[in-house]
Amino acid sequence: MSTIWQSLELLVTKGLPTTVLLTLGLLGAGLALGFPIAFLQVYGYRPFRWLCRGYEQLFRGIPALVLILIFHSGLARSFGILLPAFTSALIALGLRSSAYQSQIFRGAIQSVPQGQMMAARALGMSKLQAIRSIILPQALRLSIPPWTNEFSSVLKDTSLASAIGVLELTKQGTLIFTRIQFVKGVNYILVILILVALVYLVLTYMGNAGLALLERRLRIPGFEMKGKVER
Amino acid sequence: MKKALLAVLLTGLFAVSGLAQVYDVASDTTWPPFEWADAEGNLLGFDLDVMRCIAVLQGFEINIISYDWDIIFDDVGIGRADIGASGATITDERELKVDFSAPYWTSDQAVLIRADSGLNIVTALSGGYTVGAQIETTGAGFVQGLLDDGVDVILQEYTLYPLAVLDLINGNIDAVIQDEPASQASATAEADLTVAGVIKTNENFGFFVAEGDPEGLLPLLNDGVDQLKALGAYDNLVRAYMGTDLTKVEAAWKASIGFLEEGDVVGFALNLATLANQ
Repeated sequence: MSTIWQSLELLVTKGLPTTVLLTLGLLGAGLALGFPIAFLQVYGYRPFRWLCRGYEQLFRGIPALVLILIFHSGLARSFGILLPAFTSALIALGLRSSAYQSQIFRGAIQSVPQGQMMAARALGMSKLQAIRSIILPQALRLSIPPWTNEFSSVLKDTSLASAIGVLELTKQGTLIFTRIQFVKGVNYILVILILVALVYLVLTYMGNAGLALLERRLRIPGFEMKGKVER
Repeated sequence: MKKALLAVLLTGLFAVSGLAQVYDVASDTTWPPFEWADAEGNLLGFDLDVMRCIAVLQGFEINIISYDWDIIFDDVGIGRADIGASGATITDERELKVDFSAPYWTSDQAVLIRADSGLNIVTALSGGYTVGAQIETTGAGFVQGLLDDGVDVILQEYTLYPLAVLDLINGNIDAVIQDEPASQASATAEADLTVAGVIKTNENFGFFVAEGDPEGLLPLLNDGVDQLKALGAYDNLVRAYMGTDLTKVEAAWKASIGFLEEGDVVGFALNLATLANQ
């Protein structure tokens, strides 16, 4: 029993911080890239739109693990670019997340009726002004629910970083259960895997609860986007 | 005033960093008794403690990183980590990627089976049974050699050695081939398993560094091992780790590591060996 507690402690103290840091880094990188991409894809000049479309198709079309291996092993072997494992994972999964997030924001932007843009322009606002004070406040609120989805998937994708040796939750779990196999009379590998699963579950739950709170906080009474648009 | 303070701080920093060079040591820490992580996450094992002792003797510091076996030669080869210490047999194929130190350990392959399976070392490797091995190990290479000679055997490769042993316990495969000390450690821990026999392969283990040894580490490592042998510490490390009980070694290590922090290599090895064999 004490060993189980010890294992949990080890997971939380040595694995969890890296997982959390990587998740935050990925969400941040994805947000920083995905948001401008979405805007360029909707409002940009044609070449920008094509470029963004290509980017988004590319990074949504490659398995996350293959991306990680490209950035960690591929680049190192062919060009001598020696990224630390954590950085490789951050770049690979960050690019992937930015592609997914760009589509979340694009969907949110496009669900704000075009008439509002026209009305803003008719009132003398510039395109940028209209985006900033009309479209953005609505689109951002609309993107929170699908964004929780991306949060959940990004969090669990961080486990793929264990493949290149990032010592996060999953890798720490592997170290624990490989040791247990060599301890006489002890064999509860399932328990360790369930512990790892539980930590992810709790993290996902907490993150989603936080985002739900944000959604409620930012809600504007009377502002609804259901079915037909109010005129 | 502020500038003066900054200058003092900076000189202090440079002085500290100038004291000891820190080298990253890559190791697949899922392979007792050579390297593993104990219940508190401390990394220990024969290779790692030999490396720690060498570091003390040669006046550098090491930072041990848990690595996956399948990328360890590539990553040390291109310089992502400085030293590889992972129970690695010196082979011509690996020499293409990395440079090895002088041999520090000789190992044979052992075949692990379920005690109730009724197999022996010959039938297990030639009777059409499935043999597990860690990918890109000399054990896997041995079975591949049998396959190439037309022997009736099936090779199943795993990224981690313990996963192969787990599949053996679960009955998904019939045998596991691996270096003798690791196989013995599994057989000691799992009552259902037994070592069917040993194949004398006479493999030499070496520490490894990037091709061409750009940091000039190999002379330090070779000289370090020689010094450890002359001090008697090397034999004590062997006595501490080979054939002893895993949890006992862990307790002994925790009680002895203080010696090493004080720079007492001989005391560390002696204490570790004594406690582990009590």
